[in-house]
Amino acid sequence: MTDKENSRRSFFGKVAAAVGVVAAAGYAKTLISGAESSTAGVGEKYANDATQQEKALMGNRLVIMTDAEKTQRLDELLNCHYKELS
Amino acid sequence: MSEDKNVKMEESADLNEGRREFLKYVCTSSAAALVVAPESSGAVVEAANSADADVTVAEFFQGHFVLMSDEEKKQAIARLEKRYTAKYAKKTTVSDVAAPDGVLFGYALDMSKCIGCRRCVHACVEENNQSREGSVIQWIQVMKIPKGNISFSADELEKGYPEKSKFGDYGVQVGGNAYHPAGLSTEGAQSYYQDETVPDKDFFYLPVQCQQCEKPPCVKACPVRATFRDHAGVVLIDYNWCIGCRMCQLACPYQARRFNWGEPNLPAEDMNPKTHYFGNRPRMRGVMEKCTFCVQRTREGRSPACLEACPVGARKFGNLLDPESDVRKVLATKRVFRFKEEFGTYPKFFYYIG
Repeated sequence: MTDKENSRRSFFGKVAAAVGVVAAAGYAKTLISGAESSTAGVGEKYANDATQQEKALMGNRLVIMTDAEKTQRLDELLNCHYKELS
Repeated sequence: MSEDKNVKMEESADLNEGRREFLKYVCTSSAAALVVAPESSGAVVEAANSADADVTVAEFFQGHFVLMSDEEKKQAIARLEKRYTAKYAKKTTVSDVAAPDGVLFGYALDMSKCIGCRRCVHACVEENNQSREGSVIQWIQVMKIPKGNISFSADELEKGYPEKSKFGDYGVQVGGNAYHPAGLSTEGAQSYYQDETVPDKDFFYLPVQCQQCEKPPCVKACPVRATFRDHAGVVLIDYNWCIGCRMCQLACPYQARRFNWGEPNLPAEDMNPKTHYFGNRPRMRGVMEKCTFCVQRTREGRSPACLEACPVGARKFGNLLDPESDVRKVLATKRVFRFKEEFGTYPKFFYYIG
């Protein structure tokens, strides 16, 4: 004799339904809030990348090279290139 | 016996009813989720209806382009061409022309000539299908630097090295530029100048883009080798293999890389349909991009778009292996600067004063 209302099976059924509803609500919330935050902050993020570059380039020095340094630099570049090819 | 059978049938009916109810709950909650999240359901429907639904899946599972067989490369190119042609409503070609042999590309920029007009920036944006309004990506950033920042004595440039003596040729450096900085400081520079007319006579202009380092730290930082240096010395990215971790951006001392935070805004009418797989083909959300020396042009023997757009001829491009190339001549005859030398990245982009 099983009491249909109080059976273990119906309990699990209710639990599964509750979990399903909560998961669906969470999924929907993530989709909605995710879409909102991704569109709102995107412009700022692009601008921030450009600002980061400006900061990285500030306060630096372009140092002029002597003839010897230029020759050395070119030799190093070419050596590196040929080494990689060999 | 028949009673037992009846009990079993009742139990079986209960079981079926329970399962049916459970399935009903699941279906209802799934339907509710799709109704509550219209964006997701819209995306699903759109993906299913679009012409590229199947190629997107194939693209997702494709390997690194460099490691693909010729047949796989052909298929990948065909998928992209089909998708871009459908998306931008114009016949789009995706080239995979390899880098030429016997070439090491180098670039030189004359700071004394640059007038800061930013035509190179706009030409680069148009040629390379960069994202426009709202999610602006520009591979070239022009800095405006006060002229007072330059300080070196040209006459003393070759002086100041320890001279030979009877005790040997060692010792401390004296004279020349030893006691005052020789070069140009970027102190007080600004990137976002909005001058009505350029050039401002009190300023230098310094366009900065990927320096195509011979020892690129971005390549070392990439955990999946999506970014690599080809044998012509150009650092490239396989956009489909990039996982968007941004490690390369952190590693770059010049911050010359840009990340697609959102879906790029590239109007169909502005899209350049002549593209290269590693170059100017439209990028997607979540991948990195940067200057490629216009790989779609330079691999076919043409000049980069920024060079062609420069109205004052401040930009030179050429083969560093060829002593007669413009870049080699600049290195041989002009005053050339080194920029962020301390990182030891050996950039192949040179700034000079003519």
